[in-house]
Amino acid sequence: MKKFWALFFFFWPAVAIWLCWIAPSRGWWFPSESKSTLGHQIDGLFYLILIIVTVTFVATQFALGYAMWKGAVKTADSSAVFSHGSHKLEIMWTIVPSFVLVFISLTQLDVLAEIRVISQFPEEARKEPIAEVMARQFEWRIRYPKPGTVLMTEPQPGDLYFVNELHVPTFRPVQINLRTQDVQHAFFSPQLRVKQDAVPGLVIPVWFEVEEAGTYDLVCAELCGWGHYKMKARIIAESEESVEKYITQLNAEQNEDGVPDAPPEAAAE
Amino acid sequence: MSLTPSLKILVPAVLSVALATSGCSDSAFDSSFVYSTSTTSLMREAQDGTKELPGVKKLVDERFGDPQNLKAWLKLPVDFGGTTATVVEYATADGQLAQGTAAPAPYNDSDDARSLATEGASAIIRVTVEEGQMLPESATSIVFVSGTGAGKSAAITAWNSGTGEAMLTSVPDHVPTAGDAVTLDGGSNLKSGRMLYMRHCSHCHGTSGDGNGPTAQYLNPKPRDYRHGVFKFTSTNDMSKVSRKDLTRILKYGIPGTYMPSFLLMKDEEVYAIIEYVRFLSMRGEYERKLDSELAGDFSQKVVDGRIKAKESRTAIAQEVTEFLAVDLKEAASTLGDDLAEQWTGADSEEALIVPSIARIPDSPESRRRGRELFLSKALNCADCHGADGAGNGPQTIAFEKNPLTGELYNEPGLHDVWDNANQPRNLHYGIYRGGRRPIDLFCRIHAGIKGSRMPSFKNTPHEDIWNVVNYVLSIPFETEPGATGVPAPAAAPAAVTVPQEN
Repeated sequence: MKKFWALFFFFWPAVAIWLCWIAPSRGWWFPSESKSTLGHQIDGLFYLILIIVTVTFVATQFALGYAMWKGAVKTADSSAVFSHGSHKLEIMWTIVPSFVLVFISLTQLDVLAEIRVISQFPEEARKEPIAEVMARQFEWRIRYPKPGTVLMTEPQPGDLYFVNELHVPTFRPVQINLRTQDVQHAFFSPQLRVKQDAVPGLVIPVWFEVEEAGTYDLVCAELCGWGHYKMKARIIAESEESVEKYITQLNAEQNEDGVPDAPPEAAAE
Repeated sequence: MSLTPSLKILVPAVLSVALATSGCSDSAFDSSFVYSTSTTSLMREAQDGTKELPGVKKLVDERFGDPQNLKAWLKLPVDFGGTTATVVEYATADGQLAQGTAAPAPYNDSDDARSLATEGASAIIRVTVEEGQMLPESATSIVFVSGTGAGKSAAITAWNSGTGEAMLTSVPDHVPTAGDAVTLDGGSNLKSGRMLYMRHCSHCHGTSGDGNGPTAQYLNPKPRDYRHGVFKFTSTNDMSKVSRKDLTRILKYGIPGTYMPSFLLMKDEEVYAIIEYVRFLSMRGEYERKLDSELAGDFSQKVVDGRIKAKESRTAIAQEVTEFLAVDLKEAASTLGDDLAEQWTGADSEEALIVPSIARIPDSPESRRRGRELFLSKALNCADCHGADGAGNGPQTIAFEKNPLTGELYNEPGLHDVWDNANQPRNLHYGIYRGGRRPIDLFCRIHAGIKGSRMPSFKNTPHEDIWNVVNYVLSIPFETEPGATGVPAPAAAPAAVTVPQEN
């Protein structure tokens, strides 16, 4: 029975190795393949940490199994050894993890800067934010600048509004300005690996570059109240022309005056 | 080997959990409709009826049912769902053609029919739909709409969507004849509407649509109470009800400035089902309130108490209410239904829709100036409520209003809506337009007013003037200073303040 427990603790690291080996190809770690440029770097960091953690887990579990096995094969007449610990060992297991942590924090700095530090944002995205995303309990209100103008912090005449649907162009970095009208929310698009808190009183720029046209989820990732679960929206990534077409159409809809269009001959006059 | 017994235990355990959780989807919990306070304030006989005469509660329940057992009052313009079909043939299980069946030929030779019959069918009915329509993919119930069994229903155990044959669980106690109209899966739309409503809407709007769900107490403004049949933001004229299209817009895009969120990602058919259910609840509430108002004048508990004090005998009043229930209320029960049907049908007609006679006047300083003049003018008197600067602080907001029903002054100053909630005029500087920000939305708000609120209809104002006001209102959030459209500020306060009366 003693041997069984030793083998039991040998078994789990073996399972862990197998799972970590096959998981990436099965898409188990992420909701989908990353559809944004930053996402690949974020995934890279994730895998780096995953490798470190897996190695550590496997090593410590094998050590545990080994120790148990040693105990299991001991005969009844061998005496126990009492020890007050090993300073060398303690120094080692303090310094090695510290190095690992420092290594991780240094490695991720570049990616973090790209995501968060405004001066590191792509120039193209920074100079012309495409929309303001205003979170509120419990929906996302989107404000696009009036066609032909630049997005301002405060609403401007002719700005276009929509709710729960954000259209962004693909294959170029885009910036949105994230705000909230009431409490904290978080702008989270799992497939695009974008997650940013919206904080009352702040306008927080968020940038990303979508690599594939499609419809992506936009949800709230900060428990914001009883209707948190209702904050489902979608990000529609499409070609620059399609976005332009959408904006033109939105502009027409928003200026709807309820009068049926004049028949063509009257319009021609 | 040793695993087998534990697996045996495990499997039922998992199954029971699965069953317990799967229960959440359909009949999650028992719920019931509550009666309006206008019903519960009536004298007992008026509420519950006398021996054989139905009171208000029964009249409503007979026509609308309760959440677990909804009724479809076919008179109402609600799409209850289901497929309308006509009976072709009918036979009982032993293959004998029942009396009165049109076709004397053997029931059906196809394998399908036989297999249906041998599975212990007690009755088989074959139906057909009008040309151009499709038989439903599945059907679980059949309701007889016309013929001797009108109003009766039966459960279907097997359905053949190719031939239109349905196997019934039990022999109906009437004999369906060829040509009888039936509905397959009647009420399916209403049922799914109820499910979705309970999931997404009821925690604010309440099971009965009374705007008093568990979350409602935390919200300002209050969720809509549908039971008045009044909805604020409509594209229909001032005398019309809300159209399906208006409700769809509200549901899809939400109401900014309130807690009503957008349900943009909901499927179209789900939105449709919810809207039909909301209309159903509105009609139910309205019907109940209208019946109550027939009785309230003479038979509310308060009036009855007064009459007893004035030495009328309780028995005589009870006799009187019995007569009223027998004649007047019975008649009202029917005509009120007709009225409801007409009004709600009318809301979706083209005549109800507000269409400006001229296109929007292009936004210009000139138009805004004209709009501001109108805004301050005696004729439109917008400033009386919205304030001279449009900040929603006009003199009426500090005046005490009388409750039109009770004739008493409200406790707090300011304007109130028909739901008795304080409802202050909009501060137009916020740039938040609850009913939508399109020019046509603002046009409708002015043309039809905001129903249920104190915002009146300006339907007699020339459309050109309305457009000028729209242009002005849309420019208010961007003014550099109040009235910066070039109009001098008014010399005196625009309207006299109503002072609360002391009594």
